[in-house]
Amino acid sequence: MYSKELTSKKRDEFEDILEERRLSSDLRYAMKCYTPVIYKGLSPCKPNAIKSAVLQSEQVQYVIKQLAKEMGESPDIIQEEATEILDEMGHRMQLGAVRFFAFTLSKIFKQLFQRVCVNEEGMQRLQHAIQEHPVVLLPSHRSYVDFLMLSYLLYTYDLALPVIAAGIDFLGMKIVGELLRRAGAFFMRRSFGGNRLYWAVFAEYVKTMLRSGYAPIEFFLEGTRSRTAKTLTPKFGLLSIVMEPFFKREVFDTYLVPISISYERILEESLYAYELLGVPKPKESTSGLLKARRILSDNFGTIHIYVGQPVSLRTLASGRINRCPYNLVPRHLPQKPSEDIQEFVSDVAYKMELLQIENMVLSPWVLVAAVLLQNLPAMEFELLIEKTLWLKGLTQTFGGFIEWPDNLCAKKAVLSGLTLHSNIASLVDGHVVLNDKGMEDGAVGELVFRHALAVLMCATYRNQLLNVFVRPALVAVALQMAPSFRKEEVYSCFSFLRDVFSDEFIFFPGISLKDFEEGCFLLTKCDAIQTSQQEIYPTDKGSGTVSFLSAMFRPFVEGYQLIFRYLSKEMKEAFTEKQFIPAVRNFVFQLLEKGSTQCYEALSSDMQKNALSALVQLGAVKKKKMPNGLIYNVNQEAVSKILDMFDDSADAIPEHNEFLFPEYEILIEPEEPESPADNNEDEQGAEDTSKDAKEQEKLGAAGVADETFQSLDEETLEAMAKHETEEEKIFQMFKKQVAAEPEQIIRYCRGEGGPLWVSGENRPEEKDIPNCVCGAKRKFEFQIMPQLLNHLQVDSLGESIDWGTLVVYTCANSCGGANEYLEEFIWKQDYSMGCTI
Amino acid sequence: VSHCAQVARKWNGWGYNDSKFIFNKKGQAEFTGKRYRLGGMVLPTFKEWIEKTFGASLEHKTTSRASLNVNDVPPSIVNEEFLQDLRATKISYSQDAEDRVFRAHGHCLHEIFVLREGMFKRIPDIVVWPVCHEDVVKIVELACKHNLCIIPFGGGTSVSSALECPEEEKRMIISLDTSQMNRILWIDEKNLTACVEAGIVGQDLEKQLAESGFCTGHEPDSMEFSSLGGWVATRASGMKKNIYGNIEDLVIHIKMVTPRGIVEKNCQVPRMSTGPDIHHFIMGSEGTLGVVTEVTIKIRPVPEYQKYGSVVFPNFERGVACLREVAKQRCAPASIRLVDNAQFQFGHALKPQVASIFTSFLDGLKKFYITKFKGFDPNILCVATLLFEGDREKVLQHEKQVYDIATKFGGLAAGEDNGQRGYMLTFVIAYLRDLGLDYYVIGESFETSVPWDRVLDLCRNVKERIVRECKEKGVQFAPLSTCRVTQTYDAGACVYFYFAFNYRGISDPIHVYEQIERAAREEILANGGSLSHHHGVGKLRKRWMKESISDVGLGMLRSVKEYVDPNNIFGNKNLL
Repeated sequence: MYSKELTSKKRDEFEDILEERRLSSDLRYAMKCYTPVIYKGLSPCKPNAIKSAVLQSEQVQYVIKQLAKEMGESPDIIQEEATEILDEMGHRMQLGAVRFFAFTLSKIFKQLFQRVCVNEEGMQRLQHAIQEHPVVLLPSHRSYVDFLMLSYLLYTYDLALPVIAAGIDFLGMKIVGELLRRAGAFFMRRSFGGNRLYWAVFAEYVKTMLRSGYAPIEFFLEGTRSRTAKTLTPKFGLLSIVMEPFFKREVFDTYLVPISISYERILEESLYAYELLGVPKPKESTSGLLKARRILSDNFGTIHIYVGQPVSLRTLASGRINRCPYNLVPRHLPQKPSEDIQEFVSDVAYKMELLQIENMVLSPWVLVAAVLLQNLPAMEFELLIEKTLWLKGLTQTFGGFIEWPDNLCAKKAVLSGLTLHSNIASLVDGHVVLNDKGMEDGAVGELVFRHALAVLMCATYRNQLLNVFVRPALVAVALQMAPSFRKEEVYSCFSFLRDVFSDEFIFFPGISLKDFEEGCFLLTKCDAIQTSQQEIYPTDKGSGTVSFLSAMFRPFVEGYQLIFRYLSKEMKEAFTEKQFIPAVRNFVFQLLEKGSTQCYEALSSDMQKNALSALVQLGAVKKKKMPNGLIYNVNQEAVSKILDMFDDSADAIPEHNEFLFPEYEILIEPEEPESPADNNEDEQGAEDTSKDAKEQEKLGAAGVADETFQSLDEETLEAMAKHETEEEKIFQMFKKQVAAEPEQIIRYCRGEGGPLWVSGENRPEEKDIPNCVCGAKRKFEFQIMPQLLNHLQVDSLGESIDWGTLVVYTCANSCGGANEYLEEFIWKQDYSMGCTI
Repeated sequence: VSHCAQVARKWNGWGYNDSKFIFNKKGQAEFTGKRYRLGGMVLPTFKEWIEKTFGASLEHKTTSRASLNVNDVPPSIVNEEFLQDLRATKISYSQDAEDRVFRAHGHCLHEIFVLREGMFKRIPDIVVWPVCHEDVVKIVELACKHNLCIIPFGGGTSVSSALECPEEEKRMIISLDTSQMNRILWIDEKNLTACVEAGIVGQDLEKQLAESGFCTGHEPDSMEFSSLGGWVATRASGMKKNIYGNIEDLVIHIKMVTPRGIVEKNCQVPRMSTGPDIHHFIMGSEGTLGVVTEVTIKIRPVPEYQKYGSVVFPNFERGVACLREVAKQRCAPASIRLVDNAQFQFGHALKPQVASIFTSFLDGLKKFYITKFKGFDPNILCVATLLFEGDREKVLQHEKQVYDIATKFGGLAAGEDNGQRGYMLTFVIAYLRDLGLDYYVIGESFETSVPWDRVLDLCRNVKERIVRECKEKGVQFAPLSTCRVTQTYDAGACVYFYFAFNYRGISDPIHVYEQIERAAREEILANGGSLSHHHGVGKLRKRWMKESISDVGLGMLRSVKEYVDPNNIFGNKNLL
């Protein structure tokens, strides 16, 4: 799946297409002779001919007849409906509109962007592909600019303009919607799962255009603009529609072309941050766009468009798709794709997104943002430069595609990033700070909000690194989570993290181990870890890298924990997404206000949704379709368990660890004072004791067996008689007290009373217990009982550590701050002798 | 023994010794012999076509060895006891190397290639010529007695590796040549049936029946050489099946000798409901169960009138749509075929030098009319060839009906000559491969059947796949990859592909060729086509049998084989 030769990967050179625009007339450019390269099998036709072909197609006619039968309506009425759907949906590509866009977009783009860089070799490959087979363009989606830019680009290079699947919300923009339609956009409703007619018409419309090679078909695998600049998990609907003609062999092959569009500064950056924080996005409207003109005066840096290698669907499918299902049913019947096919579609979708990610261009500012976010609230400028430069090297090792001009020194690169993104961060007194102080005097809540806004905007840039880093970084996180460095344990943590974050980052399905190995490989490559046959451990040199990587992903680890915590404790059992988002936002908000968390990113609705859907996939939350929408049901216990995995993944694997003991929960119960009735049983108790003593003896001295006890010689008997005195009494007391709760491991009783001694020997005197550093006396607080040794299974005599009891004395004045550690005093009493601190 | 058929035929190629394509002293292509209409004619444009299509050059020639090298031939494994028993039966036999090699192969490309340049690893050890059903019974009994292997041999025109001897066969292999069982036993004019010995060759059968004013109407392209028994064993299909039906429609009764005994029915009726039809175990059994000895076949009076015809369509899509409509209206003539543009050009290149200026002028005029006036693109248009049969009046009526339909699909009548030449070509085209082999061009045909709605997709995809595979496998020149819709049915069509390429620069052309053919078959199956319409499975297409008929289906066939021939006497390893 991944290339091991990431860094040596040859990537194409970029050309700036705006350069020529700045030199020659836009009008002449818009009116140029446009004779695009087209598909070799194309029989040219008008948009309307396509529409009528769709209406007359067996596929649509079949569904119309079916619906007519089911609803008892005349097919004509349904046909009418289909025509309306088609009119709403269909594009009306016209050269005039295209020229209009070519002209205006030239003006606008030149205003907004410094450069628009394109890999020309990619365009040439695309040109070949378009002639050979139907082509599907799969650009990344970060901005509305994406599809305008792509069409503009194809026009510039004299390639057939694509038809673009756009959200129907664009139709809300009256004039612009129609203009887009004439430039080749066709519109799909956001959800039409239930509407069979709509589905049939839509699918057939797309397939008809694809089969005839009418135009390249363009849509966004991510379904919508990624508000976080992090690639969204793919949607499969449209992809499976465009793949179907090949599955049914209606076309020989189909080319899928991943296209990576990277923005140095995203046009909608602040809008996105607001949206993520729950301030609703403005509905697309013409006036909204006009207002957006305000931003025309702003500078948005450079756009990089990397047109990837066209991928042949036939090659991808070879050996994977069982053709039988399509051979035994007429091809026009709607057929639910087999599991094989669904899995294949999903694999292809992920593969395409990974290809997009591979060729995303990372600007220096992305590195700056990543460093800065780990060093809030302020970071020394020089240090920032140094760290950024270091991160550049690391990113390149991981295969990241950094656009950093050879001659540009780090300081200049960072500075120019700061200039371009002056709305996010600025340089104050030699320190770089986030711009969140817009309203110093605001309420606390307002401050939290402002700060969150700044963090989320900054995170948008750091996020561009995440999918490049995710494999090595999750290994780093796993290394810190795992109870030991054993490979299996690190892998099991990694695999858990990968599952939990399956909606947050892009992983090719089902290759957890490969991802792990890839991560380890990259970490080894940058000397951050070493691996032996069984173990993976950080090197001394690499601890910085490992902790940087895990810090990079900490917002996600912490954010998910917060959200899970909320779901496991606070959320009622059934809820809708509409209820969930504000509720969890509120929860996080309060924690932030209180200062009990610093995880501002947990406010992001994107993270909240991803966390919820992770739980759905892990089976801890059930999603049910109800008439009024989706209902979620939480299995709180299951969520707690997942939460535990974060907290103590040690629990799962106790016996393998050589250094740490497994964790247990300590139950605290008050001890009942001795009741008088107990005294009656004293005799009985005494009798028992001898037996217990015998056993105790057995534990106390190595290798003493019953027989030895039976053949006691005089000397021993004498010794025992001596014990009968003081020694035995104390032990008797100990036994009796413990008998009420034989499993106890700790006795807590600060101040009053004292410890329960095991033996009369080796008890400390007052002088033996040193005073606290503050000068106050230390007094008894609690003692640890020998039973703990049994629980921990360190009870092999002579080999394990051993004690009678451990008595802890602490400062009588409870000196020291609330949160710091202090040295205290411990007294170890053995059954026989010995005392240690 | 008289093996006249063998004597008249090439030992290392298709057809008769005297008939072949050559380049004459002027460098023009010419077809020799007097057997065919094309015989003795010069084909002025053919050379150019070959050079243009394959990038082949007359300079680069590779020749077959001139005759069989007897020393290369694997020695005959002899079971002496069997030989003694055989002598006692007086059935003629031969252990001669040439006789054995002639029956060691069919006409797949790789088999011909081996003949020209190498030698088979395993060939029959003996050839026997039974002259009647009883002889066959004796031979099969002896083979069972001595546990030997029998491979029945009819016309030797198999294109599925069905005649190749399994290399690992250690027993003596008997090639049972049916060619001497070639009599018409009786003709029943009341029921219009004839009982014929299975070794009779197609053209002899028609010739002899014609003497009594009858015909079977079964005309596979190989009918000059293929035998009645072979048709039964492979489920053959004839060009004129629209009137006469395929072999399964023609056969009334079959007698077959198996190791278990003789299988036949008790009556000669048009149809019976007595469980699954045992004829269908026999038809397509490809020599794995026994030897077909006698067949009762339907006959018809020889038609009063025959007329060829042709229609030009602006493109292949329209042509297919027209054929579909003809099939829908069930008015298909005796034969209707649609060749794609490449095959149309191919046919054009085989046009003989025209004798009179007048026909040439007419030709030019027609060409002008079609391309300039009607706007057909000569590089896109395609042609349907037609053959009508019956009484004159009905033929003319029928002709009009078909041309009317064709007009609706943009078709233009293009004359009888074109049609006739089209059908003539199917007989001589097999000779072309031998010419190609002399100039580094190898090729083959293969076929499939497919539902109507997938015809276009299948044709396009298979042709494209061939082109791509050639490119990938390092073939230097784009191959000839062409098809025709050659039969129409109610529910689909039979499609026939020709595929050839120039193999200069490739070290192992046969291997490359086989890989490409295999890919093409995969493509056919992926497009909803069948494993075979009429060539059969043999050993060449065995690997796809399970996929084609399911595990259980294969098991059913196996259990029949196990019962009928538990010791695998008929051990040619075809089909299963």
